[in-house]
Amino acid sequence: MVIVRRKDLSLLEKLYLPEIARGLSITFRKLFEKKITRQYPEEPLPTNEVTRGQPRLVVKDDGHIACVSCGMCEIACPAYAITIDGGETDRAIEREPVRFDIDMLRCILCGFCEEACPKDAIYMSNELELADYSRAALVYDMEKLKRPKAALQKRIDYVYRLNNRWRKSSSTR
Amino acid sequence: MSPMHWDWLVWFLKANVIYGGLLGTAAGMTLAERKVSAWMQYRHGPNRVGPWGLLQPIADGVKFIFKESLTPDGANKWLFRCAPALAAIPSMLTIAVIPMGPAIPFIPGDYKYFSITDLDIGLMYLLSIGGLSIYGIILGSWASNSKFSLLGGLRASAQMISYELTLILSILAVVTLTGSLDLRDAVAAQSGAIWEWHVFSQPLAFILFSIAAFAETNRHPFDFAECEPELVSGFHTEYSSMRFAMFALGEYCAMVVIASLWTTLFLGGYNVPFWEDAPWFLCIGAFLAKTSIFLFLFLWVRWTLPRFRFDQLMALGWKVFLPLALANLFLTGAAVSYGVKLW
Amino acid sequence: MAEVFFYALSALAVLFALGVVLAKSPMMSVLNLLGSFFCLSVIYLLAGFQFMAAAQILVYAGAILVLFLFVIMLLNLGDISAHSTGFLGALRSTGAKIGVAVAVAIGLALLISVNLGMLGLKPAESLPDGIDGMTGIATELFGRYALPFEAVSVLLLATMVAVVVLAKRQRPGTDARKS
Repeated sequence: MVIVRRKDLSLLEKLYLPEIARGLSITFRKLFEKKITRQYPEEPLPTNEVTRGQPRLVVKDDGHIACVSCGMCEIACPAYAITIDGGETDRAIEREPVRFDIDMLRCILCGFCEEACPKDAIYMSNELELADYSRAALVYDMEKLKRPKAALQKRIDYVYRLNNRWRKSSSTR
Repeated sequence: MSPMHWDWLVWFLKANVIYGGLLGTAAGMTLAERKVSAWMQYRHGPNRVGPWGLLQPIADGVKFIFKESLTPDGANKWLFRCAPALAAIPSMLTIAVIPMGPAIPFIPGDYKYFSITDLDIGLMYLLSIGGLSIYGIILGSWASNSKFSLLGGLRASAQMISYELTLILSILAVVTLTGSLDLRDAVAAQSGAIWEWHVFSQPLAFILFSIAAFAETNRHPFDFAECEPELVSGFHTEYSSMRFAMFALGEYCAMVVIASLWTTLFLGGYNVPFWEDAPWFLCIGAFLAKTSIFLFLFLWVRWTLPRFRFDQLMALGWKVFLPLALANLFLTGAAVSYGVKLW
Repeated sequence: MAEVFFYALSALAVLFALGVVLAKSPMMSVLNLLGSFFCLSVIYLLAGFQFMAAAQILVYAGAILVLFLFVIMLLNLGDISAHSTGFLGALRSTGAKIGVAVAVAIGLALLISVNLGMLGLKPAESLPDGIDGMTGIATELFGRYALPFEAVSVLLLATMVAVVVLAKRQRPGTDARKS
């Protein structure tokens, strides 16, 4: 059993009113202090390369998409958000996707696709906002997902830095 | 037009201005409440509708009108529908006797007092009609057929009866000094220097009135009729849409009325300190400024103090405030009848 | 004009009073009583007794009926409304018989007073000149009628104490007279 001994109140404290005035003065001072709320749409959240936003497809500097439609990300995706149809090209890299859809309503931003990709073709961008008026509009096709490599370069470097911790010098690279 | 028609026109004008002001202030208070609470908690408050969120009350009103009005199963439908009006109307009626300004030349050369009406028994009228707003709360809570509502209504009725005594007794001390129930006399008695105000001659009555005002309007720290953590939302748990808005409107109107009564009885009403013949617009300005002080106090206290416990409220009312108010009234009466100048 | 109002309000007051007796739910009885009080208060206003009218609302409607409601909300309403069997059942009960007797008595008193011309509608005729209603009431109440006024309050206090003693539940092993 715990006996809680309450503090003995002095006469002034028993009168309540001075203490109430003290409380009121505190809240009055708070009225003029700096507000800490972020005005979100106008002041967006700060992002950096660690931010794991929505996945985006890398477009190489030669203008072609880096994806070879191997299907690794499709398999890795725990939410079954990715759908890929492969096709052939005349270039040295013979395959590229004809269709690459990510259902953003299913995507859980886990980053498994980024880890699974053998060709550095899909990366988590810093884009986080996801709002539209229909479900269909939130199934992103290839055109919506394409980003130039330069836009994702920071993230790419970060992922390489991260993975280098586990990579032995003898490893093939 | 004949003079009688002028009288009607002036009366119509006054009633419209004063009621428009009352409802506008009540709507503004809903915004002010959210703004002040936000500022005290390092937030911005509503700022999306209109410049600085000033149009928020209108948006709220539109939302309330378009929401579905639900009536719970097993409710007493007739009473359930009447109750919000019963809660809102009395507090709106009471503003009629508050003198808000001196005689104003509505028509050049024709001076009319700036209040809807002046009654010999203005204070009696205000207290008796104001005391009726409790019926809305009690009947609404009973008709809802909900245990939370019923408990809220029970608490509200007990609380109102207890604190109305303190409120009336503290007002009576002031009435003893002025010797009249006409509010305009109370204002006239406080004209001139600032120390003529009754807040200085009746400090105890001033404090008691201020505290009882919080209990009478069901405001924090005495809002036991609502008491969200314990009773969901108290007497208006089952209300939605415009019916709920009527309860809120009644509460805010009651706040405005009691703040103006506070000003009239203790802070010299529409008198401008040290300037007895101040022009009428300054007088009205003074009245509004003094009233808004107390309106701000309502908000300020709400976001500062925690809620009392119900038994503490009752003990405080009956064992502390009532004896104090009685003693104060007794001393004031003795002093007045033996001709002792208190101040 | 005032007479038309008077008779209309009186009829309404009587209707409300009937409603008090005949309503099935006690809540409705109280509401009817409230309506009756309001009619009375307006009748006082018509007669020029502003103070009486305001006091009627302040004391009866604002305080006493709220206490009634408070008590009714604490009661188990289901049991009470089950007993009521409509108008005829209400007439047969003992309470109704007493009520009828009281009503007849009041009616007789009213008839006599009307015939004596004591129910005049002229405003505040009986008060001396130069004194408004409230000052007149105050001087009379605390001057000539001070003793009866105090006696009535002592009577009320005695009634209250008596009711508390009667209603107090006796616990086994305690002496009711001591506690």
